[in-house]
Amino acid sequence: MKYTFHWLPALRALPDMLWGALVTLEVAVLSMLLGVVFAVLLALASQSRIWILRAFATSWVELARNTPALFQIYMAYFGLGSFGIYIDSFPALLAGITFNNAGYLAETFRGGMRAVPDTQMRAARSLGMGQIQAFRLIVLPQLFRVVYYPMTNQMVWAILMTSLGVVVGLNNDLTGVTQELNVRSFRTFEYFALAAVIYYLIAKTVTLSARLIAWRLFRY
Amino acid sequence: MAKGIGVLTAAFMTILAAMPAQADKLDDIIASGTLRCAVVLDFPPMGSRDASNNPIGFDVDYCNDLAKALGVKAEVVETPFPDRIPALVSGRVDVGVASTSDTLERAKTAGFTIPYFAFKMVVLTKDGAGIKDYASLKGKKTGSVSGTFEAIALEKDVKAWGGGTSFRGYQNQADVFLALAQGQIEATVVTSTVASAIVKEGKYKGLIMGGDAPYDIDYVALIAPRQEQGLLNYLNLFINQQVRTGRYKALYEKWIGGGEAPNLSISGVYR
Repeated sequence: MKYTFHWLPALRALPDMLWGALVTLEVAVLSMLLGVVFAVLLALASQSRIWILRAFATSWVELARNTPALFQIYMAYFGLGSFGIYIDSFPALLAGITFNNAGYLAETFRGGMRAVPDTQMRAARSLGMGQIQAFRLIVLPQLFRVVYYPMTNQMVWAILMTSLGVVVGLNNDLTGVTQELNVRSFRTFEYFALAAVIYYLIAKTVTLSARLIAWRLFRY
Repeated sequence: MAKGIGVLTAAFMTILAAMPAQADKLDDIIASGTLRCAVVLDFPPMGSRDASNNPIGFDVDYCNDLAKALGVKAEVVETPFPDRIPALVSGRVDVGVASTSDTLERAKTAGFTIPYFAFKMVVLTKDGAGIKDYASLKGKKTGSVSGTFEAIALEKDVKAWGGGTSFRGYQNQADVFLALAQGQIEATVVTSTVASAIVKEGKYKGLIMGGDAPYDIDYVALIAPRQEQGLLNYLNLFINQQVRTGRYKALYEKWIGGGEAPNLSISGVYR
């Protein structure tokens, strides 16, 4: 490969890329918050006695976990577009990733609920706690401990998934900005290398701070 | 005598050892017997696929002509717009016959020939969007293929207009037409050749032309690795020959037609 790297012009574009990284982080955080809300609802629905709710939750989880994230985001934009429903690139990406997050997290939460033995609830009730009180004070802390690490994994996954926004025309997140710089100057390797470093740093920061929080949170 | 043979052998060995270092890309192509061209195949009439999925178009024929001139077999490698340079630099293709606008910024990275075609830009819009000419794009939702000549010009004007005018950059031409046909965007700016081909083809419903875009003429060139001057020199002569043998005109009439083939020279300056 005969290619001489031009790092100086690439580094000059770094501020633009960092602004892009902020948009990336914004999508990831929003999609996680929304994803957790939907995931809790889905986990509850999947244990519901009403079969329609169960069927709805099952199909959501099945679709989200067994189809590519690229497909989910593309469908949110061009799929809905063919039915005359236009959502902009940013909400389309957010919807796609939220859909994916909710599917995975719903399974995580369902697993978490099963990991806390029923006897814990019964023991708490026999000590005179109410249903809600027992759930809040006994079950929830144990549940949270189980689902915490899978949740941080999903957060990292969400950050990396935001890079798929370019296929639906998003041009202000990190990958969008990088791709724009790339096609304008043809300096693919420099810009993509920088983008990779930024993604790595964001993902690493998230994992490390999650571990730090866990250390404070889960001490006996 | 024996000493003389020794010297001769040494000299011969030196020449042999030096030979491979001399071989450049042009030699490699001829030696390998295959010319690999990067062609964009969602960009009719320059490049597309026919009913049986074979690559067709102006650029495909141009690649075939070039291979014939070199005496090798042509291999068309489908390459979306943003992947042209990675394909070239990583050695997946030998040349790009891919309607590449010859900007100075890009010439820092890739080697450009003299222009082999020139585009005029027009507005493409949807029936009923109320867009008659370029000025009426103000306040509308627009989009184009990210980073292309027309996208850069359009995005600049969109920023200047402000006030609700928006721009979306897509990754390939097909997605732009899809977004336009669905109504995600209300107008795009594309080369006149592509616009007329797309309107004539009728695959996307309700697309109509919305007048010329007041940009400079978009000269497009063949691209090759920047340091391959031998190959670039050959390509320049090839383009010149295509015009003077009348092949350029014939290809223009075959794929685009209507009016004169675009003039590829600029008066008042050498290239």
